[in-house]
Order: sequence, then structure tokens, then C-alpha cells
Amino acid sequence: MRRIICCRFGNKFTQWHVDNLKHMIDTYSGIEYDKFEVIEGDLYGNWYNKFQMYDKFRDGDNLYFDLDMVIYGKLPNLFRSDFTLLDDTWWREPAHTPLNSSIVSWSGSVHHIWEKFWPYAEDYMTKYSLGSDEWYYKEIEYETYDRVCPKFSIKESNPNYNVCTLGQLHHIMEEGWTGWWSPYFLER
Amino acid sequence: MLKICTVYYSDQYTPDYVGKLYDSIRRNCSIPFQSICISDDPSVEADIVLPYNHYGDIKKHWHKLKFFSPNFGYQNPDDDIIIMDIDQVITSNVDDLIGHPVQDKELITYGIWWKSILKTNGGFYKFKSGSLAYVWDDFAKNPGYWQMHYYKDRIVHFPYYGEQNYVNWRAEENGIKIIPTPEEWIGKCDIDKDEEIGDNRLYLEKFGDFMFLDGVSPNIKVVHFTGPGNTIHNNSNEWIKDYWK
Repeated sequence: MRRIICCRFGNKFTQWHVDNLKHMIDTYSGIEYDKFEVIEGDLYGNWYNKFQMYDKFRDGDNLYFDLDMVIYGKLPNLFRSDFTLLDDTWWREPAHTPLNSSIVSWSGSVHHIWEKFWPYAEDYMTKYSLGSDEWYYKEIEYETYDRVCPKFSIKESNPNYNVCTLGQLHHIMEEGWTGWWSPYFLER
Repeated sequence: MLKICTVYYSDQYTPDYVGKLYDSIRRNCSIPFQSICISDDPSVEADIVLPYNHYGDIKKHWHKLKFFSPNFGYQNPDDDIIIMDIDQVITSNVDDLIGHPVQDKELITYGIWWKSILKTNGGFYKFKSGSLAYVWDDFAKNPGYWQMHYYKDRIVHFPYYGEQNYVNWRAEENGIKIIPTPEEWIGKCDIDKDEEIGDNRLYLEKFGDFMFLDGVSPNIKVVHFTGPGNTIHNNSNEWIKDYWK
């Protein structure tokens, strides 16, 4: 069983964003998978909601993507056995965490992540209020990908990679924004 | 192509502000343009209506800054871009305002006759598409910070105010030539009647005519309804109905 997973909750992202991610994966990435899963439970009102996937998907090969990404070509194999996420330190200034969970992969069960988090969710969200990526960094063991996902540039696509994360620039997914990325997005 | 860009969101104004602004410009201007509005109400009257996202990081009139990006609003490299507030009434021919020439690294903005520490006025910006892209690009890196910066530093008195302070600073920092339009072109209608009387007197002293009494001075092209809580539709000045339609 190979799963692609994403997470949508609240109003920030719409069904179009989910459909758009699936469109880019199916059309450009070359990734083959069995199921496309969407985490929609809004337990925490923030991106700690993603942690529900560690409870829900305890078998098979799992590959998670944030919705605010651009996939514009064939991707290397991103499925991993060990729990793996992005390390951003090669393209950005040092921050509260070197990690970025825009892409996450694991095989089998990493249920221990959920079990460690949920009983103390409120405390953790207070302690790591800047986001869950600091939680990963400080609280669990992980592996990181090699350089596979740089940040988005509004001027041009990076020819060395075929996926990028939008970060603060996720507004370019809104209607009215056009650029090199537009042909890769699902038509509205 | 000239694009005149606005922002509407449900707050103190009504959706007809957008159509009335564009209609009144067309009545008083011989220059063809395309109207583009970011709006949370799809019924506003504009050639292109782009959705106002209430759930994103960008708040209120700060959405105006999006038009500084050449990647927004279907801009083309040679376009001239005008950004206008919708709380304005056009009162005479605006060919010289709308058609004001502009080059790269220039920002055309209202010249104002009342006291201000800024060289720019958020009611009107005109520039060449993409030539001031950093205004948006730098803002977009940390919109949460900038949107509250001028309030937290007590430079402005209301949360989320300060967009024109930000544009002024970015323009000056980047050596942009800020070109004011003739001051007598702009009228100012305040919510406070005493302020309005004072403004009328000041305009008279500077330009030899009242800004408005029963009618509007022929020197004036646009009247801007400035200040928090000020609206056109609740204003009692009789002359408004002659122009705002």
C-alpha cells in the first residue's frame, strides 16, 4: 500500500488546493501510489493537525505533502522507511528549527509520534508555538532528505529540482497571480 | 494597457462604491482602461474581480500592495498601473490625472495641501508595471509584521493603518522619484464638520476658491473621504449626489 497524504482544515485552503496537489502529483511527479488521503479533522486549529496522520496510517508506505507546493516535473523517489522530513538549512537562514515538514515520509507505523504528542498537546503547542517543525526537532528522532525541495522563487523555477515549497508566499496560489508556476496548477 | 485597481471588503463601505468610482472615472476620462478589483463581494462592478481572501495573511487595504507585483492582476510588461482607494468622488475631468505620464522608477501620487509627513498618498498611486515590485515582494516576506508595525510604533492611531507609510518608505529607500500631482486637484472631505470648515478655509487661502460649498470648486478633480469611519453614503453634503453615481 502506497499512500499520498495531505491535510486540509479550516478556511485557509479549499478543495481546489487538494485537487491541485493531486493534479500536480498525477500529471508531473511520476509518483505511483494506491490511495490519496486527506486529513480533515480540525483538532487544534493549526498545523499540529497533521499529527493525526501518524495515528491514522500505521502501515504501508506513506508520503505526505503540504498543499502550498509547486510540483513541476518528475520527482526522485521520496518514499522512505525511516521517518524522514526536509532539512531547510541549505537554503535559508538559521531559525528555531532546521526542519520543514512540507514533505514527510515513513513506512509502517510511527504511531509513537502521536502517542508522545496528544496527551500533552496543549503544553507542546504552547512550548513550540512557532509550529510543529520545532517539535520534531526537539522531541523525536528523525532522518532528513538530501536536497530535494528548495524554496519558491517568483522569478523563475529552479531547474535542478522539480518541487518547491511556497512558505510565506502561498498567496501566489490565489486567483489573479500568474507566473512560471501557473501552467502546472489545476485550472479553476 | 492602463489598469485601474481597487480593493473592496465588507466593512464600512457598500459594494456600489466600486462601480460608482469606475463609472465616474469613465464619465470624466477619455483614456481607455481596464478596471480590476479585489473584492469579497463578487457582485462589484469591475472588468475583473479577484477574490479577497479573508483567511490569508494579508489584511484590509494592505491587499492594495499586491498590484505592485507584476505577477498579480494579469499585468503585462508595458502596462501602466493605477491603484486607487474607493472612498473617492470624481468631480471633474481626470484625463490629466489618469493619463499622467510615468516612467520606470517613478511613483505618481496625489500632491496634498494639508499637513502630512509623507510624500505619498494611498488614495492614488501610478507606476509602470513591475518597476516597484519590491514594494510587494519585501512586504510579502513578513506581512504580519508590517501590517501592525506603524501602529505598534505609534506612528498611526489604528491597527492595520500605515500602508502609505510603508509605500513611502520603500519608495524613498529605493530612490524612486515620487511625483505629486498638482495639489489643487484633490479635495478632502472629513467626517468632522469643524475639520471640514478648516479644510475649506485652508484651500481658499492656498488656491483662491472654496474647496466645496453648495458645489465643488472646478479646480478639484477628486474628493477623498478621509479618516476612520468616514463614508460617502452617510455624508450630508448635497453636491455628492451630482457626482457619485
